[in-house]
Amino acid sequence: MRPRTLSGRYARTAYLFLLPAILFFAAFFYLPIGNVVATSLRTGPMADQWTGLGNYAQALGDPAVRHSFLITAGFSVLVVAGSIVLGLALALALDQPLKGRVAFRVLLLVPYLTSVAIVGLLWRNILDPELGVLNRLLAELGLPGQQWLNTAPLLTIAAVTLWQNVGYTMVLFLAGLQGIPETYHEAARIDGADAWHRFWRITLPLLAPTTLFVSVMAVISGLQAFGQAYIITNGGPGDATDLSVFHIFNVAFRARDFGYSSAQSVLLLIVIVAFTLVQLRAGRRGEVQY
Amino acid sequence: MRKALLYTLLTLASLVTVVPLLYMVSLSLQTETETLSAEAVLWPQTPQWGNYAELFTRAPFGDFIVNSLVVAGAITLAHLLFDPLVGYVFAKFRFPLRNTLFVALLATLMVPFFVRMIPLYVLMANLGWLNTYQGLVTPFLMDAFGIFLMRQFIQPIPDDLIHAARIDGASELRIYRSVILPQTRPALAVLGLFTFVFQWNEFLWPLVATTTPEMRTIPVGLTLFNQEYFTLWHLTAAGSVILFVPTAVLFVLTQRYFVRGIALTGLK
Repeated sequence: MRPRTLSGRYARTAYLFLLPAILFFAAFFYLPIGNVVATSLRTGPMADQWTGLGNYAQALGDPAVRHSFLITAGFSVLVVAGSIVLGLALALALDQPLKGRVAFRVLLLVPYLTSVAIVGLLWRNILDPELGVLNRLLAELGLPGQQWLNTAPLLTIAAVTLWQNVGYTMVLFLAGLQGIPETYHEAARIDGADAWHRFWRITLPLLAPTTLFVSVMAVISGLQAFGQAYIITNGGPGDATDLSVFHIFNVAFRARDFGYSSAQSVLLLIVIVAFTLVQLRAGRRGEVQY
Repeated sequence: MRKALLYTLLTLASLVTVVPLLYMVSLSLQTETETLSAEAVLWPQTPQWGNYAELFTRAPFGDFIVNSLVVAGAITLAHLLFDPLVGYVFAKFRFPLRNTLFVALLATLMVPFFVRMIPLYVLMANLGWLNTYQGLVTPFLMDAFGIFLMRQFIQPIPDDLIHAARIDGASELRIYRSVILPQTRPALAVLGLFTFVFQWNEFLWPLVATTTPEMRTIPVGLTLFNQEYFTLWHLTAAGSVILFVPTAVLFVLTQRYFVRGIALTGLK
């Protein structure tokens, strides 16, 4: 039966075009999300015995889960702080009329395009206390060797993550900086404000939306970091870099406890969603009007 | 003086990002003895191009490359096919439940992959799709990000163009194909590049969804190769170079699109 009205016909076309997408998002997003919640309420090797909120109660009281979550939060804070400070510093430098800007931008962005497999394996090799090239170089220079993967493992994998991502935040900040009208700076210059004041009073407040976006993105990607722990440290030494998703992966696929690992996934999802919503709301309220 | 300072800062930062990658190339050309020697070897005495051949005899590296190309290629094609179509519908059509569906779509942006990982593994195991291309590809055929990008790009296209085509009697599919799609080329380039590079580099799902070496993609195959042969750093480095070269070439050729793409996603 053909729809009689014009708007009815358009609606039919719209749904026809949307059909593959509706089926896809139902089958590969909404169904799995429903399933992860359903599985989180069950226990046993086949995850088929009802336990209600048992897995959640167990997770909240499990020292390993708590530890892994605190570690992940610390890792995210380090990555966010580093992304903002270094990304902004590099963007401010590149925002000047310099020769070779495009080349610098390319060179700084290259690690962002590499797989976490490359980043992880390469830095594990460089930093290896015995075989790593860094300690061999330090020894040739007569300097003491480093053991950063043992002495400061979390800081080290956060630094490696930063090495990979700083070009990305730099490009975001660069776009933000180019959106600030030059007239504001000129007006301030005429009023006698020096570069320091112009940065704190004009650049930084007007960059607030970009800074917010960068921090949301960095937190979200920091909370779900996996490869760094899997490839560089295997969660160690001990459990020093047992990042949440790595922990969940091990509970699911090494200990084969789908119920417990699903509950932990849901808990981490709740944190990520809550965090995103709070940050976005804070951003809307705090937006600077000029 | 100020300029000199800026150049110094930028040069130092660029060295920090690039020198480790150059060392990776050097490592891939060293002999095993050189990788294990007490003094640091910054460049091999004689470059060992044979390392690249040896890699293929130690692991099914040819399979890894084919798998990565098939998986990243198929997912990219699916995005180029569906994302603009769905973006067009949300940009230009009015229909019941439009806003509800759009919010339901955008909400998936907040759901990281690890949430879907366990149920998708169970689903694929039940379908017998572990260790298959369809298992590796289907979870990523579309995403809200690509659709949103295309919607933003299509929205400013004047409605009059669509109305005129309708009056001329063009079918809806034809309007999409000949009026809308040709105008979205720059956005499609950005979408295709991003999708390909991210899928080429994807690590977690291919790790979970494959158990046989022959079905692994390069990032996973290489990492597990390194776990097995953890002293053969020259071969791991050779594999890393193979994994890296396509994205590096693609990036240098199209870096403007990449930078614009990142800026575009940041300014929504």
